[in-house]
Amino acid sequence: MNQLLNSGEKVKMLPTELTYEVEAFLGGGGQGEVYRARLAEGHGSGARVALKWFFPHYLRRDPDLRARLERAVETGPPSDRFLWPQELVQTANRPGFGYVMPLREDRFVGITDLVTRRAEPTFRALVTAGFELAHNYRQLHAKGFCYRDISFGNVFFDPENGEVRICDNDNVSVDDGKGGVIGGTVRFMAPEIVRGEAGPSTETDLFSLAVLLFYMLVNHHPLEGAREGQIRCFDLPAMTRLYGTDPLFIFNPSDTSNEPVRDVHSNALALWPIYPHFIKELFLVTFTEGLHDPNERARESQWSSELIRLHDSIFYCQGCGAENFYDPDSIGNTDGAAKGCWACSSPHRLPPRIRIGQDEVVMLNHDSLLYPHHLDEQRRYEVDKPVAEITQHPQNPQIWGLRNLSAQKWTSQNADGETNDVEPGKTVTLSSGLRIQFGSREGEVRL
Amino acid sequence: MPKLPGGPLARRPLHFIWIADCSGSMGYGGKIQSLNNAIREALPHMQDAAAENPNAEVMVRAVKFSSGASWHVASAVPVEQFRWDDLKASGVTDMGKALQLVAEQLDPQMMPQRALPPVLVLISDGHPTDDVSAGLRDLMAQPWGTKAVRIAIAIGDDVEKSVLQRFIGHPELEPLQANNAESLVTFIKWVSTAVLKSASSPASQAVNTDQSSNVPLPPVPDADVQVDDVW
Repeated sequence: MNQLLNSGEKVKMLPTELTYEVEAFLGGGGQGEVYRARLAEGHGSGARVALKWFFPHYLRRDPDLRARLERAVETGPPSDRFLWPQELVQTANRPGFGYVMPLREDRFVGITDLVTRRAEPTFRALVTAGFELAHNYRQLHAKGFCYRDISFGNVFFDPENGEVRICDNDNVSVDDGKGGVIGGTVRFMAPEIVRGEAGPSTETDLFSLAVLLFYMLVNHHPLEGAREGQIRCFDLPAMTRLYGTDPLFIFNPSDTSNEPVRDVHSNALALWPIYPHFIKELFLVTFTEGLHDPNERARESQWSSELIRLHDSIFYCQGCGAENFYDPDSIGNTDGAAKGCWACSSPHRLPPRIRIGQDEVVMLNHDSLLYPHHLDEQRRYEVDKPVAEITQHPQNPQIWGLRNLSAQKWTSQNADGETNDVEPGKTVTLSSGLRIQFGSREGEVRL
Repeated sequence: MPKLPGGPLARRPLHFIWIADCSGSMGYGGKIQSLNNAIREALPHMQDAAAENPNAEVMVRAVKFSSGASWHVASAVPVEQFRWDDLKASGVTDMGKALQLVAEQLDPQMMPQRALPPVLVLISDGHPTDDVSAGLRDLMAQPWGTKAVRIAIAIGDDVEKSVLQRFIGHPELEPLQANNAESLVTFIKWVSTAVLKSASSPASQAVNTDQSSNVPLPPVPDADVQVDDVW
């Protein structure tokens, strides 16, 4: 049908003059259309890319776009998780321009697939995706850019392992309070943008990120409670009130007038209670004080740390195998003891676990892995390659151990005071009170 | 066993109604065929747009008007199941009756308790032959009628645009002028994707978007200007 570009049409890269041939229409948005294209000639010919071509009516509204894209191309991607503009393209016989970027692999699905439950990842993959988002937006912000439009439509993740891809990077701009025409997507925009008082910035990105993470974990909007339930026609004035002039967090402990309504906001009521206090605390601060004071919003480094903690707190219910979260702030007190598995209600029985440093507790499930993040003070947030894994004793499957996958020797000391070296490739048997010296950090095992 | 507690995101219904002119003049120059073709071509894109929009449950219906008006697709169908049967042209242009039919369905008794603004798309190539003011009055007497996003597409030059303008009811938004089959496809695709999206989740809002209307409309696409294919 009438697309901007036709299949077989050729576009030229600037300034390298490489030619790409349009192959297929992939999708359209408010700004333009995306196609799959292949390099038509020269070294690496046949390589496929995604090609975005802008609508003429959008180009008229966004005169800074070209300069913004040129700057993005020049700076390069903040990490390999961004499908970043590689080069601008144009054609001989059409006005306007576009750009090429890496093609998204088929294994990635949208956040829309998650919230509609067309994709159903494990909690482990979901929390990993949340961590990846926080960690990679942090790298974008560290380069002085702001994203401007964090929302459902431009984030994709692999439901198997939680790896993310961040798309639509053409709105990204230097965080100078100007440039770009995109103010964001309703439901994700910070209240000060909805009210028309501010433009996009790193602080407003932090609000949008928190909304996206809330959607991912709770499958609901943090401001849609009783007030939303009372609205018949949910039009722009209603949205402006709910998200802009009169916002109230649905779990605000000091004002419960916007609590979720049973049978209307079921996901919020089903999911929020299963999470540990430490992760709820970040949502709470962002959606109470942070609603009105942008400086109070949780930073990406906080999200990164607490989402890794959340990942480490996952354990399997011994009754049904469902993933549950260990909450150090509630287990032990009556409230925590009363709480059972969300799926089968059996009482929680914790697996062996290791406390590293002051308050990091990692559940040692049969498939748990430890990363440099856990064992090396200097390598926080490094979670690519594991440095320790849980293994079963080859002769006695009742005995579990922690295998050293790192290149460093560990030293262990059991409850009787007996010390041992744990060379790379070797395993230390898990026992209550076992202490392991990993170098810069020390852990203590509980059974 | 489900891996995650809870279910799909809570969503609100979004009623989308095509209001199509099937008068005899639509039979000249292949206009009715072009309209059938445009809606059929736009449908997969509409379904994609709806699938990407987890906040809305898009329900589609269609009214046709010529000598009298009737429901072409009477019950609201989820967009993923919507099928388009060809319209045929004959008779006069009873647009007022079509608007009355729509108004009856927008009665609060007929509408769900909670919904998104409905989207009404009026497509015509001529002059109303009945009391269109009465139809407009009935429509705008309904709260859901005033809240609706109302878009009008004029096919060809022989359209009473002032009527379409009154239907739109917004001074800054004009009827979309489709002078050929290509531009009709462009506009039909735009209303069934971009406008649909705006009505439920205004996407990538531009800074300084006009907030005077109850739904911010995305920029209207350019119609191709091709003089060799004018109706």
